[in-house]
Amino acid sequence: MNGVARFIARRLAFGVVLVAGVSAIVFFLVNAIGNPIAMLIAGQPNATEEQINQLTAYYHLDEPAWQRYLHWLGNLAHLDFGTSITYNEPVSDMLLVWGSETLKIQIPAILIAFFMAIAIATHASMRQYSRTDFSIMAGALLGQSLPAFLTGLILILVFAYTLGIFPSYGAYSTRNPLLGSPLLDALWHMVLPVSMLAYFNTATLTLLLRANLVEVLRHDYIMAARASGLPERRIVFGHALRNAIIPVLTYLGILFGLMLATAPVTETVFTWPGLGFLYINAIQQLDYPVIMGVSVVIAVMLVLTTLATDIAYVFIDPRIRLD
Amino acid sequence: MASETVTPAPRILLRRQGMWRLGLQRLRRNRSGMLGLSLVAFVVLVAITCHWLAPYDPNDQSAALGFGTSKGPALLHLLGTDRLGYDILSRLVYGAPTALAVGIGAMMIASLIGVTIGGIAGYCGGMVDELLMRFTEFLLVLPVFLVILAVVRLFGIMVVGSWLERVPDLNLITIILLLGCFGWPSIARITRAEFLRLRHAEFVEAARCIGTRQRDIVLRHILPNALPSIIVVVALGVGGAVLAEAMISFLGFGDPNSISWGQLLYFNYETMRIAPWATLAPGAAIFITVLGFNLLADGLSDAFNPRLRQ
Repeated sequence: MNGVARFIARRLAFGVVLVAGVSAIVFFLVNAIGNPIAMLIAGQPNATEEQINQLTAYYHLDEPAWQRYLHWLGNLAHLDFGTSITYNEPVSDMLLVWGSETLKIQIPAILIAFFMAIAIATHASMRQYSRTDFSIMAGALLGQSLPAFLTGLILILVFAYTLGIFPSYGAYSTRNPLLGSPLLDALWHMVLPVSMLAYFNTATLTLLLRANLVEVLRHDYIMAARASGLPERRIVFGHALRNAIIPVLTYLGILFGLMLATAPVTETVFTWPGLGFLYINAIQQLDYPVIMGVSVVIAVMLVLTTLATDIAYVFIDPRIRLD
Repeated sequence: MASETVTPAPRILLRRQGMWRLGLQRLRRNRSGMLGLSLVAFVVLVAITCHWLAPYDPNDQSAALGFGTSKGPALLHLLGTDRLGYDILSRLVYGAPTALAVGIGAMMIASLIGVTIGGIAGYCGGMVDELLMRFTEFLLVLPVFLVILAVVRLFGIMVVGSWLERVPDLNLITIILLLGCFGWPSIARITRAEFLRLRHAEFVEAARCIGTRQRDIVLRHILPNALPSIIVVVALGVGGAVLAEAMISFLGFGDPNSISWGQLLYFNYETMRIAPWATLAPGAAIFITVLGFNLLADGLSDAFNPRLRQ
């Protein structure tokens, strides 16, 4: 256990370095453009010099950049991300609200993809090189190469515009929720974005798992299991899957990171009120506390995901030791 | 004597069985790899001949006066017009050189950095290796896409009023540079792995024994043998860069003056309900290009590492 604790400590230290690095890069980038207040307010004809100075002092923008960065880091220690310039709300509250919307589509998407991939890949690997196998592979290859946001646009075109079954944008109806139930309404809005993400994830995981299964099924112990007369279904689920699934589990972490990083795109397609959408707006409006907040939260999520997959590894595969 | 007729044979055989020739022969037999190669060749061909292929000037908006904006495919405009009155087919065709410039330009920068860093790490080993690989890992975990978006936007503000503002296609060049400067970690990793594998290979030891210079060992003996694996990652990266540029443009951070598929999507996806062709056409173009490079990379990987395949 000592080894595991040391490993976690080292990964966490790397995580802290990563988060500090990301925040420093973004902070100094944002500061390179000068005073965002002056820039934002310059277009307002009624703004006086005095008001600009007042706001600049309020956001401490008159201090040197490094001093503000240290100040910002100090506040971060007690989870204070500052106040949004455009929304005038605490950024930490905004991150919670918008962040939960992002997770609301990404976690179901990855869970659905995981179980679908197991079902599909085992099905395919039991019928290697059959017509079913080939069509599954073709569908998976298509899903992997079709950029997720294009899948999203096609889904909107078919299911929202042409068939009119699902809404094309937003996480909630502004009025008249579906059948008067807010929960049903929320689920109804989730269907298309989750399908978009799940298709790409399922395709990627299916290809990976099928390749691993095909490879594992050639091993001697599988041959032994076959010789003992076990039905193919039990060989695949009882023996092969356990070994073939390990790389898939690590890949879950990579996929989750990819989804987080491309959240601005997927959330723009569905006008989804999540972190990515918030980030795009913040960049466009130079709302630097929000830009900082979102990039740090995403970096933290990435670090925790990699850590979780690394630890999951050890529990699934006793051959792997962390050190 | 019998030996006279036998000796030339192995020499011919040896010449024919170069690593590249064998790999390309295997690629030719790989159906999906060849499909990828033909898709890529198609895009390259369109990019080269775009001046002759495009029925209209890409900046010609005159359809807005007669034919109409957001009109469906017709004989006059084979893929219809978009909401600004541009002929979609012409814009699509002129988008091909932009996409390739982004993909290949970004990957040229990335491979230059990646091969140098990975090569140094793999060849030197020790502390240098540790340090460089930690840095690579850092960049690999970094949410690069978010950083690039921020840089593109902020750089666009910074150049206002400076001489840089007059550089044509500045925004596109920025995107290419950024994709290159952040895209090298995967190339560095594969280069390092190959250099580690080859560093103590017998033929390298042999070269060292006969007193070959350090530089020649790296450039003439190790690098050429590492190249196939690197090319696979680079081919994958070209597709990735094309997609990344499309996504950046789609979000509205692209170059408004350049003609790219992402820009076409950005200008038209909001009118998808009335003019779906204006969104689907650039989408299909991006898909074909990305798929082509993915399949080609897959085929090359199978062709040059046949043992992995078995």
